[in-house]
Amino acid sequence: MSELANGNGLTLEARQVSVRFEGLTAVDSVDETLHQGEILGLIGPNGAGKTTLVNAMTGFQLPAAGEVLLGEKDISKLTPHWIRRHGVARTFQAGRLFREMPVSENVEVAAVSLGLSRRKAHAHAMELLEWLGLADQAEMPAGILPYTDERRVGIARALALSPQFVLLDEPAAGMSDLECDDIMQVVREIPDRFGCGVLLIEHNMRVIMGVCARIHVLDSGKTIARGTPAEVQNDPVVINAYLGHS
Amino acid sequence: MIEANTPVLRLVRTFWPLVVLSVGLLIIVVIIDLSGDIILAQTLIEGLVRVVIVAALYLFIGNSGIISFGHIGFMMIGAYATAWQTCCPYTRDMFMPGLPTYLLNNTHHFIPAILLAGLLAAVVALITGYAIMRLSGIAASIGTFALMMVFYSVYLRWSTWTSGASSVIGLPTTTTVWVGYVYAVIAITAAFLYSRSRWGLALRSSRDDEVAARAAGVNVFGQRLLAFVVSAFFCGMAGGLFGHFLGMLTVDSFHLKMTFITLSMLVLGGMQSLTGAVVGVVVLTVVIDVLRRLETGVGDFSIPTSSAEVFVGVVIILILIFRQSGITGNAEVYWPFKPDISAAAAMKRQS
Repeated sequence: MSELANGNGLTLEARQVSVRFEGLTAVDSVDETLHQGEILGLIGPNGAGKTTLVNAMTGFQLPAAGEVLLGEKDISKLTPHWIRRHGVARTFQAGRLFREMPVSENVEVAAVSLGLSRRKAHAHAMELLEWLGLADQAEMPAGILPYTDERRVGIARALALSPQFVLLDEPAAGMSDLECDDIMQVVREIPDRFGCGVLLIEHNMRVIMGVCARIHVLDSGKTIARGTPAEVQNDPVVINAYLGHS
Repeated sequence: MIEANTPVLRLVRTFWPLVVLSVGLLIIVVIIDLSGDIILAQTLIEGLVRVVIVAALYLFIGNSGIISFGHIGFMMIGAYATAWQTCCPYTRDMFMPGLPTYLLNNTHHFIPAILLAGLLAAVVALITGYAIMRLSGIAASIGTFALMMVFYSVYLRWSTWTSGASSVIGLPTTTTVWVGYVYAVIAITAAFLYSRSRWGLALRSSRDDEVAARAAGVNVFGQRLLAFVVSAFFCGMAGGLFGHFLGMLTVDSFHLKMTFITLSMLVLGGMQSLTGAVVGVVVLTVVIDVLRRLETGVGDFSIPTSSAEVFVGVVIILILIFRQSGITGNAEVYWPFKPDISAAAAMKRQS
């Protein structure tokens, strides 16, 4: 899975990306390249800058320095909707569904914004929801879903029209082991089904270790380790970051 | 309840709110037209013009979630632009001597005139919206309010084109009950189709969660601007209808009072529902008419003048406190089909 030479080999690359908030450096010169077809884990203690990095890679945060490259193109100064339309999708920790709209329309929004007619968008949304086991809830307002289903709808919305890359921000947060297993299954299927590269932020180590071929560890905005799950798990620097200081 | 379980029934159900609203208004129009009551007919025409305005307000406010205080400005632009083309051939030099020679010497038919007037309002909305639609929430609302004040002040001082603080009189009274009805149905249909279009869907998503909408590929600024321009077009046409209903125009009629009344209608009916927009117009028009009659006195009984304004104000405060989703609960009318599960109702049922 970590073989890089698959398909057209499009990459999403953070090159020396830094994000600063009034003197605080939230992300500090981070390098990483996400390839299509792989699942990359992004971990680190709270406040390590994981979400900020994702924001910088999806147009929600202008980096203070560095570039975000989609293929050869620097997208760091472009708008979130442009980036989504050109193949980089994301989810949010809090779900951020369109609560007053039916579940199906939550997914349709992304499909129509990417150019489908409403009829085609609806069919496409239903396909995705069926895959995620949410077809029966399609007509329900998204605001009343339990949060496990909320995350799934968020994932379906991000996967509409098969983006080249999808960045999942803690899809399993607050879930039981059983629920985590379901989400792991979903995440595992994404690369083959949609041909995209997945960046997975997650606190749950079981999920990370279970689905990621390689892992990038951040602490205080800096890269402190990268490697396979086994390598990262036994890295003293990583263990120290998680346990050593608070 | 009828279950929409065949393709034909599903299609009928999809357009059902449009059918109910058009037929509902038609019944009112026919009854009042047959009654021959001239005063009632005047109230009806005014109400139908307001349906055009409030449907246009719904198109923008209902789908974007941004309250606009500026649309009456677009109505004014449309009202004067129509008058420039159709007004009073013999007195035009007197009221609006500054008009270009072409407009002074030619009189146009009402329909192309009102379309051009709507277009002018839309162009002004495009230019001003290009700046204001970048804002969100209350900042955007204040921006539209400022816009209305700017339009008002400009038209008040621009006396060679607008007669300024005095009135332009002698407009042909083209807006009959039936003309009003046709434009009301056109406006309702446009608002209905828009909110079911992909653009309406995209804009509504930004109303629920702007950040998530951007992440889903929605160009929030562009979608807002589109709705702003389309709704300004219909407000402009409503202005043309209004002038040709009264037969005269004053800048003062396009100010806070009109803004407040039309917004109250939308809020009362339910801001996120086209059914609410129409219901709000009907209910408030009836209530205001009854109160106006009481103000002038029925027999020995009368209530103080301006009671109607006070009453409307109180009703709006009560609605905002106790039922923010308005009379319709922000839902469209589907009866006798099964209703949509509105988010508010569903959440209530869950808790």
